[in-house]
Amino acid sequence: MNLPLPSIILLLFFPGGLFLIASGLVYQWADRKLVARFQNRIGPRWFQPLADVFKLLAKEEIVPTGAIKGLFHGLPIVALASALTAALYVPLAGFNASYSFQGDLIVVFYLLSVLTICIGLAGANNISRFSIIGATRTLTQIFSYEAPFLLALLGPAIAAGSWSISKINIYAQENVWLILAQPIGFVVALIGLMGKLELPPFDAPEAETEIVAGALTEYSGRGLALFRIGKDVELVIGLTLISALYLGGLANPLDFLWKTVVLLLVTAGLQALFARLRIDQTVGMWWRVGALLGLLQLLAIILGRLIGPLF
Amino acid sequence: MDMAVKTPSSPMQKVMDGLRAWARINSPWVIHYNSGSCNGCDIEILATLTPRYDLERFGVKLQGSPRHADVLIATGPVTRQSRERLLRIYEQMPDPKFVVAVGSCGLSGGVFHGCYNIVGSIDEVLPVSAYIPGCPPRPEAIIQGVVALLQSLKPQ
Ligand code: SF4
Repeated sequence: MNLPLPSIILLLFFPGGLFLIASGLVYQWADRKLVARFQNRIGPRWFQPLADVFKLLAKEEIVPTGAIKGLFHGLPIVALASALTAALYVPLAGFNASYSFQGDLIVVFYLLSVLTICIGLAGANNISRFSIIGATRTLTQIFSYEAPFLLALLGPAIAAGSWSISKINIYAQENVWLILAQPIGFVVALIGLMGKLELPPFDAPEAETEIVAGALTEYSGRGLALFRIGKDVELVIGLTLISALYLGGLANPLDFLWKTVVLLLVTAGLQALFARLRIDQTVGMWWRVGALLGLLQLLAIILGRLIGPLF
Repeated sequence: MDMAVKTPSSPMQKVMDGLRAWARINSPWVIHYNSGSCNGCDIEILATLTPRYDLERFGVKLQGSPRHADVLIATGPVTRQSRERLLRIYEQMPDPKFVVAVGSCGLSGGVFHGCYNIVGSIDEVLPVSAYIPGCPPRPEAIIQGVVALLQSLKPQ
């Protein structure tokens, strides 16, 4: 489906801006509620993320001594802005992407990484030791999952013969679901998304029991709120991306809803199932297992393309 | 901790104030500090945060960083050693912030009353918004105390 709307509305209300933030909050609630139910708890009320954000926005913002003021205030804004920008290139809510060009898959990939890098820089900008350890871990983790995650996103791109998310989306709708053709790639992509969002078991960068709150320890009020919204937005975009690439594309809003919710169910289950990995275990797992699996998948695709025409 | 508005009250201002109060009541993030208790109260606080009582249904979340917290749950009498630390944690929290004193010791010094190494109860060091008596108080009592504190934040 196409959206005949002027650009300003696309940017500020739908599918960018307000709609994206609102759906981010809803998905955050669904995620927390599912994990709570898996843990035999009742879980938060439906408006919980909204109340959290309003409260944080109304709170005092303390700029700690030793931090560079401009960076301290600027980083959360850059993080949220880049996450929101990424939404313009994915088929959000089942509508065609607002903009698309050859190579937007890579652009979205890096726009999603900007958030993580901003969190790392925000931690390194402080002199608090917990922030600095958190920042080190955040940046270490980004180097471990990024390569396998990119390899996993390459699979569908090669299959579709295009670097544009919209084209891959159309290809995925017309062909057999890529989760069947490239199961390894799907698993790596889904777990890569969990690593990107620092969900358990990859939450070593913000492990409360060891390093207080990781890179964001010194943030209070608005900065923290913006980073949290940014993460929620990234959750929605990540789920959209994976279901567009691997789960047979997104043709309409209903398609979008059930596919992302199924993915969310799986990630919430994984979160409840596994305990936190140490940072060295995370890196080891990604480079020893994740990257290898990604390469294997790539090899299989290339072989398939070479051998396929022979039969 | 009066956050009353000093600006003239317009309808817009009223809506914003209502929204702020609503958000504050529904999303209290807590941090927990033991300034010299026997650890009995702390075990009860941890029990309160377990899935059995599930405080997340009120929006309560235990935070590690004072910068993220709204409510400081303090237990035990304040010893001379931990007085500075308690004050420092309180000062690191962003406004608006509240203190809940848990256990008889936090209220009055309890069994440690008159000890040579004790400054006294928590309210001799910090402004306390809610007291929860008991030695140690049950998780239900702690929940009731926190809910009572949140109810008191409602605009009259
Ligand atoms: S009130 Fe009782 S349980 Fe709590 S710190 Fe004092 S002696 Fe220990």
